[in-house]
Amino acid sequence: MPFVRIVVAPLSGFPDGERRIVNVGGRSIGVFRVGSHFYGIRNRCPHQGGPLCLGHVLGDAVADAPGSARISSDPLRIACPWHGWEYDLDSGQSFMGPASPGVRSYGAGVEPGASLLEDATARPEMRVPGPYVAETFEVTIEDEYVVLHT
Amino acid sequence: MAHVDTQVVETITKRKVELVDCDVHAQATEAMLANYLSAPARRLLERYGRRTPRVTDWYPRARNAGMRVDAWPGKPGHIWGSDPETTRAQLLDEFGVDYAVLEVLSGQDCYDHPDFAAEWNSAVNQWQIEEWLSFDPRLRGTIAVPHEYPSLAVAEIERCAGDDRFVAVLLPASAAEQLGSPKYWPIYEAATAFGRPVAFHTGGYVDHRGPGYPSFYLEYHVGNGIVMQSQLASMVAGGMFDEIPGLRVVLTECGVAWAAALTWSLDSAWELMREDHARLPRRPSEYIRDHVWFTTQPIEEPDDPQHLLWAIEQARLGDRLLFATDYPHWDFDSPKQALPRALGAPLRRAIMCENALALYGLPAERAG
Amino acid sequence: MDAIDCDLHCAPESYEALFPYLNDYWRQYITEAGIRLNGLPHAYPRGLGGTAPSTYDALSEHVPDFAILNCLTGFETHRNAYFAAAVASAINDWLREEFLARDSRLRASLVVSPLSTDDAVSEISRVGEDPQFVQVLLPVRSDVPWGNKNHHAMFAAARERGLQVALHAWGRAGLAPTPSGFTTTYMEDYLGNQPIAQAQVLSLVSEGVFERFPELHVIMTECGFAWLAPLLWRFDKDWKGVWREVPWVKRPPSEYVREHFRFTTAPAHLPSDPVAVDQLLEMMDGSGMLVYASDYPHEHGDGLPALLERLSDAQRRELLTGTAAELYGLSA
Repeated sequence: MPFVRIVVAPLSGFPDGERRIVNVGGRSIGVFRVGSHFYGIRNRCPHQGGPLCLGHVLGDAVADAPGSARISSDPLRIACPWHGWEYDLDSGQSFMGPASPGVRSYGAGVEPGASLLEDATARPEMRVPGPYVAETFEVTIEDEYVVLHT
Repeated sequence: MAHVDTQVVETITKRKVELVDCDVHAQATEAMLANYLSAPARRLLERYGRRTPRVTDWYPRARNAGMRVDAWPGKPGHIWGSDPETTRAQLLDEFGVDYAVLEVLSGQDCYDHPDFAAEWNSAVNQWQIEEWLSFDPRLRGTIAVPHEYPSLAVAEIERCAGDDRFVAVLLPASAAEQLGSPKYWPIYEAATAFGRPVAFHTGGYVDHRGPGYPSFYLEYHVGNGIVMQSQLASMVAGGMFDEIPGLRVVLTECGVAWAAALTWSLDSAWELMREDHARLPRRPSEYIRDHVWFTTQPIEEPDDPQHLLWAIEQARLGDRLLFATDYPHWDFDSPKQALPRALGAPLRRAIMCENALALYGLPAERAG
Repeated sequence: MDAIDCDLHCAPESYEALFPYLNDYWRQYITEAGIRLNGLPHAYPRGLGGTAPSTYDALSEHVPDFAILNCLTGFETHRNAYFAAAVASAINDWLREEFLARDSRLRASLVVSPLSTDDAVSEISRVGEDPQFVQVLLPVRSDVPWGNKNHHAMFAAARERGLQVALHAWGRAGLAPTPSGFTTTYMEDYLGNQPIAQAQVLSLVSEGVFERFPELHVIMTECGFAWLAPLLWRFDKDWKGVWREVPWVKRPPSEYVREHFRFTTAPAHLPSDPVAVDQLLEMMDGSGMLVYASDYPHEHGDGLPALLERLSDAQRRELLTGTAAELYGLSA
């Protein structure tokens, strides 16, 4: 399958802490912004099919001994909104034991409009219903865009 | 001109029932139930609120506040599980549920004064009728009762039993006494007389007595299955199934895979002690086989799904398991994926639909 | 039979038998209050085996290669923590003088007050160096589950001396014998130990006890074991959802349980169908967590022979001797 870049939103319209859910060829994929980092991950929990990307993004919980717990911002986890099964937001890896499958993750980042306009494979996302409905927008040379690599 | 017979053709389409969800939570706010209370009871509620702490006050549900994150109705005055429209969209329509049995836990405290307990449970039932059962024909109810006051509970069963949409009587899995105690038998007798099973739903007020109180929700939640094992032993050993031959009980939200081991231990103990048990002329396993159903959620998930099938077969539960989602709680079991393929299509069909239709006497077709 | 019996009982016939090991205050306290041992009729019912032997002579014929003596008399003490500590010390001295000193095949559980971690630590310090004490004995019933942080100092004291911990059925008069309330029949009391044991498994893992004490083993004694696999399926599943509540539990709970728990074979409440016994063993990853126990004098029916019949020779040897020998550092 050819490498496809999906233009998710203008960078200016995708603030820190937000997420967008896009449909790409029948797959629902969540794009998350944390600080200056972007992450793409499949919006389906392999456990029971829950809408993974509606869940909370959480830092890892680390404890050296009972009671001495703290939160580490690296790596970030996405927790399924149903059972809370967690996956590495970057790699999609599961931490729930050897029998638990991971979830597909995708590259995401920021690219200038100029490079997108030159690339015939780049296309804007499809509109999706639900709590995170995306705006439609035009790609211009001057601006930067959040792009999902699928 | 030819003569043409005209005929009115029934065009109501019937849909074959394929999915019955035997544990769905509707949750009322105090304000919603206040509308159904007498003035003195409403005044009491205004002045003191619900004075008994909820179990979530001492075991905070560690994930998503105990709810599916995506099930928040987002409507003023509503909480998780209080809005029928959200439940219809997210559960009934989304998964094609044909019947959903509501279990409203709001009435289950055991430390209310009997006057208030009776009114409060009646309010739960009226709210169910007006806001839910009348809202969608796929919904079924369970009768909430003030279980610590059996005569009042029986009166509430008598009041509600005329409404066929109530398919069971609802009790908690923890009460002031063990649930096999003769104290509660009048409730079971009344339910049976009206053709209703008694559904014992995980939770309730008094838990963890022998081992002491644990520290974490994790222990509390896994422990729900443990408490139900203990209750089932009480029900069997106390003789209620011998006393009430038509009694059917539904153990709800407690897991299923432990049933075989409990049965072996009861039968083994019975072999040693049968002369002490005049009320157990038959093996405990036979009473369980005849009288006990289980809802599936939260279904155990062994690494090898074949082991779940073994556990079901060992306890002969094939026609005793009732599928349940527990919507909108965090440990929701999806109708699409919760039951492993290893169970095989006939058993899955029985669990998803046929066993519940038989137990609750629901029609196998409905207007679609 | 070549065997290590991990649960052989003895008990003083009366408090007077403990008088040589109690000081004048406690002797007067017992006499003045008229306190009597009731012989733990629940643990040793007259109709199912009767009272535990009170002398070495009565016990000796029941000792195989090795036996671990469990004296439950301390389970009868009341709510007076000072009395409980005194009785625990007296029982340990009684065990040493009247049993352990007389037979090198004997080992014993060191008994401690279940009411005070401080007292338990003191007692473990006092007698825990004696190599014939191999584990600390606790009742499976508890005011607060045994994994609770308030008990960790006791586990630390035990591990400093290479001791394991046994949770034995019964105990703590006044607590309900089940997780769901008081009972009306002996059958419920008897079976109530098993759900309580399950709650203790949850507690010990959830509180991170095995992260803190990686060499600790807990021997669940007279609590059954057929319930284990389904419990672990659910425990693992729930941990995947709510592990953030206990982030020190770093691996699926079943892994801790398989490494750190052992279960005695009395009672073995098994299915009558041998195929189901095989399935049960497979669901438990084999018989490696099981250790033989007679629980003499308590009768539990014929579960053990039915179990042994389904094992290979190697598995049977492991269950009867090998696993316990490793656990307690015993060698033929």
